[in-house]
Amino acid sequence: MKELFASTCLAAAMLTFGNAAQAANCGDVTIASMNWQSAEVLASLDKFILNEGYGCNAEIIQGDTVPTITSMTEKGQPDIAPEGWVDLLPDVVNAGVANGKLVVASTVLTDGAVQGWWMPKYLADAHPDVKTIDDVLKHPELFPDPEDKSKGAIHNGPQGWGGTVVTSQLYKAYGGEAANFTLVDTGSAAGLDGSIAKAYERKEGWVGYYWAPTALLGKYDMVKLDYGVPYDAAEWKRCNTVADCPDPKKNEWPKDTVQTLVTKAFSERAGEDVMGYLNKRAWSNDTVNKLMAWMTDNQASGDDGAKHFLEENEAMWKEWVSPEAAEKIKAAL
Amino acid sequence: MDWLFSFPHMDDASLRDLKKAIDEGFRGFTRAYGDGLEAIFEPLQHFLIWSERFMTQTPWPIILLLIAAVAWFASRNWKIVAGTVVTLLLIGYFDMWDDTMKTVSMIFVCTVLSIVVGIPIGIAMSRSDRVQNIVNPVLDVMQTMPSFVYLIPVVMLLGIGKVPGLIAVVIYAIPPMIRLTNLGIRLVDKDVLEAADAFGSSNWQKLKNVQMPLALPTIMAGTNQTIMMALAMVVIASMIGVQGLGQPVLKAISNQYFTLGIFNGLAIVGIAIIFDRVSQAFGARLQKHREVVHG
Repeated sequence: MKELFASTCLAAAMLTFGNAAQAANCGDVTIASMNWQSAEVLASLDKFILNEGYGCNAEIIQGDTVPTITSMTEKGQPDIAPEGWVDLLPDVVNAGVANGKLVVASTVLTDGAVQGWWMPKYLADAHPDVKTIDDVLKHPELFPDPEDKSKGAIHNGPQGWGGTVVTSQLYKAYGGEAANFTLVDTGSAAGLDGSIAKAYERKEGWVGYYWAPTALLGKYDMVKLDYGVPYDAAEWKRCNTVADCPDPKKNEWPKDTVQTLVTKAFSERAGEDVMGYLNKRAWSNDTVNKLMAWMTDNQASGDDGAKHFLEENEAMWKEWVSPEAAEKIKAAL
Repeated sequence: MDWLFSFPHMDDASLRDLKKAIDEGFRGFTRAYGDGLEAIFEPLQHFLIWSERFMTQTPWPIILLLIAAVAWFASRNWKIVAGTVVTLLLIGYFDMWDDTMKTVSMIFVCTVLSIVVGIPIGIAMSRSDRVQNIVNPVLDVMQTMPSFVYLIPVVMLLGIGKVPGLIAVVIYAIPPMIRLTNLGIRLVDKDVLEAADAFGSSNWQKLKNVQMPLALPTIMAGTNQTIMMALAMVVIASMIGVQGLGQPVLKAISNQYFTLGIFNGLAIVGIAIIFDRVSQAFGARLQKHREVVHG
């Protein structure tokens, strides 16, 4: 249903904007906003900068990863997907680039989308020797299981997530059970978030699965654990991501690449300035986490978030834009 | 004319401040009293853990015999006992024994707690219209408020696991117990009470010897409803980390494992029917016994 809705939006947007926008400079631009917070604020940011700094007429349309990127390669609309999770559909993106339909701009999340096992920062500061998963497994007393204080607990995500399967397999691979740890099924995203919030508000021990960029990690400072081994793609595919695989090995959790995708047509008509911005604009997960935490705390929309970012991080965004554009954006704030 | 088409509402800034203030207040409360509250619920948690260990770590034939014995003493009906044993054997054969025992243990504790807390509240409600007027809206809220709205604050206070699960289940399952206790006592014939008064019964004697026995069929119906509603909450409770049959159901839903979902769903239905038939038969027997005494 969501996809249907998204494609309807896309179709409507195409009718509206498809034929326009042959004007000089960039003219009309459609920017795809995805239905999660980080993509929403990034789309709002692009809209603000393109409109105010480069005199475009940018519009945001709602979409989801798969229909948006597919529509960009097939129909050449929307023009920009600021947060494209290219690993989710590598075939479509590669084919689009090869056929000259898509251009890959900046790797917008410089750290990539990170999944893994995390522990609270206050705990890492208090115990600087605990850095890897193996270190954690040596200290069950730091991460007590609420239902059996003699054991440690590793919090897993809810059933049905890819990350939950990997966490279970890593628990097996690193010998969690032998190390006197239990794997706690938190049951739902809300349960997982709640368990972190509870531990954090009371400065208790917590270790478990999470991912960035997320508002929660902006609000609660967490440290990702190291794996102690390098990434082995073949093993990862063979066993770490397969729920029934009996003999998983230690492995590192690979990052998802998140890039800005632009249609070829737009990249040609937009001009060097705009493309220069889209090629340079990138931020770290830390920045995004903080921004999303601010948005969550203030129940702010993407537009509010973008404005807040521009006001607070002038040094960062000045690097991305031309000096003239920077002046205009500053004036618009 | 703008005000005619968009409802005049509190301005965005103050609304946001209000929400923020409440959120902050709750977080402050969590920090200040979370540990204390957790300590209060500690005995309950021990009881839950003990009950689950008993059900899962005792050898299965002993548990099976125990449940069959309970079913026999409650119902004195060999058909119900046979049905119980066959259902449990089937559940075990399809490899759901551990999850089922965890669920049975949870439901058992929830039901006991609902009865222990619910009956006195029901009695208090039946004795005073004012109490009834206060408690009724509270029960309405408990039955209609979407569970996750209060579950997340509870998780913030008590963490994930059995105790928040128990609270969620009891909040949902206790209202029929309270309502039907209240109703049962209020429906006792006024003439009978007058007769009790004429014999010089004290309030306590009236309650114990007249009102409660006569209200018993209604109260048993309440117990039965409480058990059924507690079982219906199994899946919701598993969303905050309660183990049992709910977890495989959640897994089945998110992965579209139809068979897994149906097996575990049927196991929930199976134990619901066992609980239902045994408690109904017990209630019926209890009333027969009373009739003999009075007769």
